[in-house]
Amino acid sequence: MNKKKVYPYWFLIIPLILYGVFFLLPSILGIFYSFTDWNARSMGEVSFVGLQNYIEIFTSDKNYLSGIGHTLMFTIVSNIVKLVPALFLAIMLQEGLKGKNFYRTILYLPSILPFVIIGITFKSVLNYDNGLLNGFLDMVHLGFLKQKWLSDLNVVWGSVIGVDAWRGIGYVMTIFVAGLGAIPKTYYEAAQIDGASFWQRLKSITLPMLTGSIMINLVFGITYGLKVFDIIYVLTNGGPGHATEVVTTYSYQLYADGAYGMSTAFNTVLLILTAIAGIFVVKMMSKKEVQQ
Amino acid sequence: MKRKMISAILCCSMAAGMLAGCGSSSAAPAASNAGSETSEASEASQAAPAASEATQDFSGEELSILVSQDWMNDCWDDVIAEFEDTYDVTVDLQTIPADQYDDTLQTKLTTDSCTDIFWIQSNPFAISSVIVDPEKYCIDMTGEAWESVIPEARLSSCTYNDKLYGLQLWTNSPEYVLVYNKTLFGELGLEAPKTYAELKAACEKISAQGITPWFIAGSEGWVQALAFFQIGGVYEEAQPGLYEALNNNTATFADNEKMLEVLNQFKELSDAGYFGADWIGATNANLDNDFADRKIAMAMANPGEISAIKEAGAEDEFGICLIPLGDNDTYPTNPAGPTMFGYNGSEHPELVKEFFRFCTTTESLQSILDKHTNWTNIAVNDENVEQHWLPQEEELISAIDTAKQQTPVLQTGTKYTNDSWGKFCEDMIAYCQGSMEANDVLKNMDSNRAESAKVAADENWK
Repeated sequence: MNKKKVYPYWFLIIPLILYGVFFLLPSILGIFYSFTDWNARSMGEVSFVGLQNYIEIFTSDKNYLSGIGHTLMFTIVSNIVKLVPALFLAIMLQEGLKGKNFYRTILYLPSILPFVIIGITFKSVLNYDNGLLNGFLDMVHLGFLKQKWLSDLNVVWGSVIGVDAWRGIGYVMTIFVAGLGAIPKTYYEAAQIDGASFWQRLKSITLPMLTGSIMINLVFGITYGLKVFDIIYVLTNGGPGHATEVVTTYSYQLYADGAYGMSTAFNTVLLILTAIAGIFVVKMMSKKEVQQ
Repeated sequence: MKRKMISAILCCSMAAGMLAGCGSSSAAPAASNAGSETSEASEASQAAPAASEATQDFSGEELSILVSQDWMNDCWDDVIAEFEDTYDVTVDLQTIPADQYDDTLQTKLTTDSCTDIFWIQSNPFAISSVIVDPEKYCIDMTGEAWESVIPEARLSSCTYNDKLYGLQLWTNSPEYVLVYNKTLFGELGLEAPKTYAELKAACEKISAQGITPWFIAGSEGWVQALAFFQIGGVYEEAQPGLYEALNNNTATFADNEKMLEVLNQFKELSDAGYFGADWIGATNANLDNDFADRKIAMAMANPGEISAIKEAGAEDEFGICLIPLGDNDTYPTNPAGPTMFGYNGSEHPELVKEFFRFCTTTESLQSILDKHTNWTNIAVNDENVEQHWLPQEEELISAIDTAKQQTPVLQTGTKYTNDSWGKFCEDMIAYCQGSMEANDVLKNMDSNRAESAKVAADENWK
């Protein structure tokens, strides 16, 4: 190896400074402000209020806790809903399917659409009276399946997660496709000679060999789920009522109301949740890799 | 070789940029001179000289405006187009959905990234609570000639600490009353409802015809609260001194019997499906057509909605009546409304001021009124503006005792109430869906008002 081609360590200084100034410092300041009464009127004069903001979050009549619960629920369900179908789609498209590149592109396309466009489109599609979905159900004489997709408490989360899955499956699938491509074909050929079924091959070859891709998707999916905002903001804005409020929508509202201290406290809660989940997933997956 | 080429290209582009910069600065005085010539020519042809001069001054600039969905609708198009033509500028109108507007505005203000002009739903208390620091965020318009155009009653929604900041161009009609299909009511043997019992009976009869009795567009994020706030007089009547006590923080919304009664009645109508099969997910997009097609019989709207329904092809006759929840018989007096402010951080403060002046000319005011499908009048002190009051409005106003017209609507008469409008709408939906209790909706309002008061450093909440 030509030593001249290796970058010296001091090359890291600039990115580290940028990272520190624009990411680390604001994050630490955010945690600091979460213990203060900083608001739109304080004009730089903030007072230390201890854990008051956190007590407010966990004991308030406003049911902020439900927002935290919704965030965790969305994170778990949306990941299951995206990961499992994406895995099977990736396997299907990895096999000798005709026009698989075309299907891959089609499935990936929604993930490059802006959330605002998705929100406007699906709000229209899911409209109870004039929406495309209910209209279609009526047309095929399945009117009994019609729902108030975005205004019924029992259905709204399904709609949000469904739209989110529609958008995200292609992206998750692409990572799986890359992972599947790295598994040597000889393993499958040997397994087939031994008479292994599809499920046996999946369990004993595909999943263990895909650990890396699964981990990447899980980490991305969990961090995305915990900080979910856009898709909810554009589809329901936390409604109907407060049925789809999550940590970030509460944080956004509080910031908009000028309650910056409370807003940063919410963000700190989110930071803690994300850190715990991230460490847990990485540790769990590293253990598996070691075992293999 | 390649490096040399790139360096040469970069040098050339830098030099070109510098020359372009010099060119524009030296061209500016020439344009100004041309402007004065044009101005003189304009004076000769009796056109507005100030406008012509300004055309040259502001040429090529862009004026950005942040506004909620329904505050600056098509009726402004001609005024904006005329302004663009006159001053050779571009107006960037950023229209935000109503349910997202407050959050968007506050975020833009607090991050110092606001548009040149922004709007708020103003009232005598709103400037300090919504904008929080008017001196920091708003252009001082004190001394502008258009101050005299704003009626005295509305000035308090535009001024703060004796300084003029806002321009409020709104209608003086009985705001957000019940517009109802008079012909349909007649056919069903119904009169305009005056009490809750009459309203409920009418809804039952209309619903039996397969028509939505009282349409409410819950997904708009602001409509449903009208049913509660527009009848403020009825709360004050039930508990005299309530407004003052609410402003002094010696009374609460929570446990107020009349308010609880109104919320219960609202939920009763919602549960019965009288607001529509999916009122929570409905929008106002087809309101005029739905009225014209007899899909709906009543809706909370301004009297001008009648003209819009007629334009949509309705053959029926329409009337207006008070919202009869809580047996309300008080007039929705409301000297408040959406108001525009100049942003102090704007790069074009003079253009902003010019826009305000332009909007308050008789021609602009007349254009706004004539183009607005829902307005029959505009609240301005300008005798040259021709108003178009409807007979229904005159009939309603004359039928209500003057004493019943004194109390302003709840959101205008009490501090910090209007700030939580959107949240109250969400809570009303949560209550109607059974995930909140009526008194919790009111408790939340108290808590939201307390938070606004805290931000505004209100002595009464300390």
